[in-house]
Amino acid sequence: MKRQKSKILICSSLTSQTKAQLKIQQMVFMLLAVTLFFVLVGMLVLALRFAGIKESATEIEEKNAMLLVTRIANSPEFSCGNAFGKSRTNCIDADKVMMLKKNIDKYDNFWGRETNIEIRKIYPKGNVVCTIRNYPDCNLINLQSEEIHAEHSNFVSLCRKDLINGEVYDKCELAKIMVSYKDWREVQK
Amino acid sequence: MIKKKAQEELIGFALIIILVAIIGLIFLGFSLKNSQKEIVESYEVESFIQAFLQYTTDCGNYRENYLPIQKLISACVDDKTCLDERDSCDVLSSTLTGIIEESWKVDGDRPIQGYELKIVLEDGTEVIPLISKGNSTKNSKGVLQPFMPLGENYEIYFTVYY
Repeated sequence: MKRQKSKILICSSLTSQTKAQLKIQQMVFMLLAVTLFFVLVGMLVLALRFAGIKESATEIEEKNAMLLVTRIANSPEFSCGNAFGKSRTNCIDADKVMMLKKNIDKYDNFWGRETNIEIRKIYPKGNVVCTIRNYPDCNLINLQSEEIHAEHSNFVSLCRKDLINGEVYDKCELAKIMVSYKDWREVQK
Repeated sequence: MIKKKAQEELIGFALIIILVAIIGLIFLGFSLKNSQKEIVESYEVESFIQAFLQYTTDCGNYRENYLPIQKLISACVDDKTCLDERDSCDVLSSTLTGIIEESWKVDGDRPIQGYELKIVLEDGTEVIPLISKGNSTKNSKGVLQPFMPLGENYEIYFTVYY
């Protein structure tokens, strides 16, 4: 009788031990699953945030380019000033810009990092790139001599002094000033 | 008892799904709210008028070699002719048409749908016939530029449709 009792006791303690082990196992699996879930969610959030950083950096660059394009024509480096009679708005002195192009290395990062400025004559139209040799019989002044991709543009009047029958007169043409900006989304692609 | 427990778990699961869906919708709303670049910016239209008014035309008079558009409009209002006997209004109309056609292209599948340029005197009389192309759509950016030279006052209306 005593032996039987002790056998039952041993059996019941064994069952409760297995049950406890199972419970511990269950909890470990649960903890692992929860940790893995949070790690994955964290990684997703981080990835989204980093993607957002690139987007917002590009947005800031774009906004700067837009602000620059609306004001650059009236900045001292470009504006006509009083060279063509009274002061004019959105007027760019072409002779001044050509001299600026010649000394552009002194203006490194002056208008922002990797910002390129291009002035393209719209009317009369053409595709001849301006150099000191062919100026003013050309249509495109590219300050950094690089092609423009992402850009903001604005209409300007491109003026210079011209000669007709030995007489100097003011010649203004319609042009577009384009400002390119760094697209951070294309970095590391 | 088991049935009730299963029902409770189902309700919990459904609540979690609803919560996740709401959070997802909020995120989606924020991401869609981001502002996009306009097809035509207001500053572009304003600058266009300022720039074309300074354009030097091939119409000359006795005082200046060649007249800028702003002075050519006044010459047209006063019914004057160029040095080469061309009518100032004809030169103005053809020059403006050329400028606008090169600046705001509406052909093909471009985002610009049309434009209109009107130059009128104070009493509403048109200085030159209306210059327009394409369709008038709901989305537009326009600008009005009044002028008060020594002669008659006039206004320039320019609208771009997109």
